[in-house]
Amino acid sequence: MSGPWDVVIVGGGHNGLVCAAYLARAGQRVLVIEQRPVAGGPLLTQEIAPGFLSSTGADVIGPLRPEVVRDLELTRHGLELLPIDPTVVAIGDDSTTLRLWRTVEQTQEELRRHSARDAAAYPTFHEFLMGLAEALDPILLRAPPDVQSPTWADQIALLRRALRLRRRGMDAFRSALRLPVQSLHRLLDEWFETDLLKATLAFDALIGTCRGPWSPGTAFGLLRHYAGVANGQGWAFVKGGMGSFARAVMAAAGGAGATIRTGTRVRRIMTEDGRATGVELTDGERIHSKVVVSNADPKRTFLDLVDPAELDADFLSQVRAYNTNGCVAKVNIALEELPRFPWREDGRPPPSHVRIAPSMEFIERAYDDAKYGGFSQAPVLDVFLPSVVDPSVAPRGKHVMSVLAQYAPYHLREGTWNARREDLAGRVMDRLEERLPGIRARIRTTEVLTPLDIERTFGMTGGHIYHGEMTLDQLFVMRPVPGWARYRTPIDALYLCGSGAHPGGGITGAPGYNAARAIMSDLKRIPRGAVAAHAMGL
Amino acid sequence: MLVVQGPPRVQRSRFPVQADEIKLDSPPLPHARHLEQRNGASRDGQGGFRTGVGRTYDAIVIGAGHNGLVCAAYLGRAGWKVLVVERRHVVGGAAVTEEVYPGFRFTVASYVCSLLRPEIIRDLDLPAHGFQVIPQESTFTPLPDGRYLLRTGDEQQTYREIGKFSREDAEAYPRYGRLMAKVAKLVKPILTMTPPDVGSMSLSELRKLLTLNRQIRDVTDEELHTFLKLMTMSSADYLDGWFETDALKGTICTSGIIGTFLGPRSPGTAYVLMHHYMGEIDGAYRSWGYVRGGMGAVSNAIASAARQTGVEIRTSAPVRRILVEDGKALGVELEDGERIRAIVVVSNADPKRTFLKLLEPENLPRDFVRAIQNYNIEGSSGKVNLALSGLPEFTALPGDGPHLRGAVSISPSVEYVERAYDDAKYGRFSRRPFIDICVPSTLDPTLAPPGKHVLSMFVQYAPYTLRNGTWDDQREAFGDAVIDTLAEYAPNLRGLIEHEQVLSPLDLERVFGLTGGNIFHGELTQDQLFFLRPVAGWSQYRTPIKNLFLCGSGAHPGGGVMGASGYNAAREIVGNGRRRRA
Repeated sequence: MSGPWDVVIVGGGHNGLVCAAYLARAGQRVLVIEQRPVAGGPLLTQEIAPGFLSSTGADVIGPLRPEVVRDLELTRHGLELLPIDPTVVAIGDDSTTLRLWRTVEQTQEELRRHSARDAAAYPTFHEFLMGLAEALDPILLRAPPDVQSPTWADQIALLRRALRLRRRGMDAFRSALRLPVQSLHRLLDEWFETDLLKATLAFDALIGTCRGPWSPGTAFGLLRHYAGVANGQGWAFVKGGMGSFARAVMAAAGGAGATIRTGTRVRRIMTEDGRATGVELTDGERIHSKVVVSNADPKRTFLDLVDPAELDADFLSQVRAYNTNGCVAKVNIALEELPRFPWREDGRPPPSHVRIAPSMEFIERAYDDAKYGGFSQAPVLDVFLPSVVDPSVAPRGKHVMSVLAQYAPYHLREGTWNARREDLAGRVMDRLEERLPGIRARIRTTEVLTPLDIERTFGMTGGHIYHGEMTLDQLFVMRPVPGWARYRTPIDALYLCGSGAHPGGGITGAPGYNAARAIMSDLKRIPRGAVAAHAMGL
Repeated sequence: MLVVQGPPRVQRSRFPVQADEIKLDSPPLPHARHLEQRNGASRDGQGGFRTGVGRTYDAIVIGAGHNGLVCAAYLGRAGWKVLVVERRHVVGGAAVTEEVYPGFRFTVASYVCSLLRPEIIRDLDLPAHGFQVIPQESTFTPLPDGRYLLRTGDEQQTYREIGKFSREDAEAYPRYGRLMAKVAKLVKPILTMTPPDVGSMSLSELRKLLTLNRQIRDVTDEELHTFLKLMTMSSADYLDGWFETDALKGTICTSGIIGTFLGPRSPGTAYVLMHHYMGEIDGAYRSWGYVRGGMGAVSNAIASAARQTGVEIRTSAPVRRILVEDGKALGVELEDGERIRAIVVVSNADPKRTFLKLLEPENLPRDFVRAIQNYNIEGSSGKVNLALSGLPEFTALPGDGPHLRGAVSISPSVEYVERAYDDAKYGRFSRRPFIDICVPSTLDPTLAPPGKHVLSMFVQYAPYTLRNGTWDDQREAFGDAVIDTLAEYAPNLRGLIEHEQVLSPLDLERVFGLTGGNIFHGELTQDQLFFLRPVAGWSQYRTPIKNLFLCGSGAHPGGGVMGASGYNAAREIVGNGRRRRA
């Protein structure tokens, strides 16, 4: 399909594609413009050595909206999820291990080896978080209310969530009210005594966030994690690597009639009298549309792509204050053979997800380094081995491994990431070697992504994997900034559809889904003639 | 029979109580008697009081902290017969002045005043009882490099002083102050309201939330957005949005961490920052001040006002337990075995002490006990009080001057304060602590012998739970770390010290009965504020025990010498009586 376009979407990340698919299904003529040679953003599979297919950016899928999978028929378009079970094998000090499983019973069995008290508490804890995630679930698929003048519908919707929580009993309700503002340290200490268990649960909530378990508000991250468990599929690899997921969403968007132009870069979003009118590409080509949707993060959108003269000073200063400082580094590795795990596997298949974070204090100390602008002396490592469950991503008998290392602050106090990339890789390898002895000798190739590389490769400001910190001050009615949490922006006909909008980062598709709804409801209100005039650039 | 007969024995306050004047309307007499009638069955004659029956009161307040005294004074004004029982030999709790060394009167724990609700000052006519605030003149931050940051009540001077570091910051500073004051004003009505009971989900409680919502609608976008940010951000992040000068951010951010076990980079501390701004809303700049005669004078003034309404105060009368029968509070038993009964028992002790020490757990629902056990009340601050033979001389600003008649803050940068917090996180006191210093004798010579001074240092961080050793072993090392830190900025300090009093969190617990040594009766984090203070479902000063109420800082709106908890509790207690009567 060619122009004139109803909608131009800047950026073909998964949310941009989801938004495109829904808008195209609703009959809009949609063009997605992606700067990279393939769409999908950080959902990308690359060959790091012949036959080794590594997921460059994101590794696993969790809280993907089942509505999106169903509506866009992603399974028909080739999406195949490979569940991770045990969900994680945690290595503690002295190489003690702890396995968490998809079923509560198996996990409880495992916990008995560590602490009878924790084994007894775990089912209640699990039920509590699942209940909370379920009760809050509908909030994720709804634009946040306008805080200044919430509609009755919004108030009633929130009240219903509150009643739903209340119905779980006063004890659970009390915990639910406190959880969002608690620190993981406080919350988990109330429930459990085993350090390794607490650290393992804590890191689920901390991934991608530049906070330690002592920081208030971090317990909220657990909800994000449990949302992935609660709505059905649990955490999983994608068969063929994460790029396959991107291809499925692309196929769905294309199938619905959207056009995707890759290798094309937007220089700016064109505006006229406070209204977006289309985009200008780096080669000077101008594409007009009724509506422009940005899948780029809020800083990139408002500080790079839009003429600042179109925005008021207060809004701009809020966008500048929006925190997008990433703290995650990635090392992707091609392995000649599996690492030798220092524990007895008892004939069990090797683990596909290993975590090296022995205690909450260990994590907090890793964070302390980042607070003062340093890469953690002893980083927390989250290790994925997708080839264990998906032999298609590596040559026979060989493996791909990816290591997420935290905390690696985007702003270094000393040196630059270009100068310190090897330093980071060395520190990660030392730590891996310490816990998985002999691994260094098995490595064929490594690829290192510092936060700076993540920024450069995927266009994410600050290298933040969630398009901005997922702390309470940047969530819900405050994402990305207070007053503009409903996908609309101070510029008419310009919308946000990426992880910088509610409900935020992670591979959910929810911002794209919600944005499409907001756009459709606005498009129905705009008189046809006015739009046509704009669309033709008149 | 018990209380029922007799003429009103209450000496009314000088001004007749007007319902709309104080919001806390006096109930129609005979005040609390309907409660008595309801309880009568279990208490007339036999009950649990066969032995050692003492006198009977309408209300007994456990603890003569400032909130207990405020609560007692308002109950007294409402015509109730009230007894306050205090464990120590002095009233005031943590707001006391004591002559620890001959001639030197230390304002031992709490040291400055600002948050005390103006309603209370007015209603209880505290100035007539000797309450007088002397404003602090400045905030002075000496820096390790020999420079200093000085802020005074004179806007022009402050502009020049901040301008030495950054022109932008000097420009932004008054705007920041105005915005904080505006937002604090938003919160002000919340301080003296009873939080809604979110547990009940009843219509009347939900209406309260909607009323709040309506109040919010009247504010500008900027104020509302700032409020939302303050509720969720760290003070460091929030200040990074305003200023670039380390010393300025370092000093302002300490308002966000005083009394909490959090660092300036911890989310939620921006709220505490604002909490400390509430005192600045009525005056132009920093209405923080000394109380003439030390903080004990606040307590004495409230106590005197209370006595005037007929309240009895007994000191050196420690309570062993609260007497409960059939889920109702009947009175208290003192350590010496004396039992005193009352229709209503009000606890000014913190929630953990009240529910876990003064009551038997079997009298309380299990989930409630668990919630109280999880209530976070770990202290993080200590106090060092010095008796000095002269004034400290700061290298950065030698000689006497307004900088000695205000707050001196050892907080050269946010990172300095954050690193002090890092020590505490792992269970040791800060090697280089944040210190809030004042020399109240510069403005109030009554506190020290002529020419001599008392110097008060509020210190963070000093975690109640030490990883290695006990506070009894480490008290001295802690005092040394504090004095050494200050001596780096004022080298003559060591030579001036005549006496030294070091209070660790353990000492604060022992002396003042503050569980965990927490000066706010529990962390001021969002999971323990408003309708969650002390625990959700019990934020309305009531407790699972009938006729037992909370009136201390462990209830909404929390810590600081504010009096709001006592004021709100009195309103609920009186209102409770009226509702039950109806």
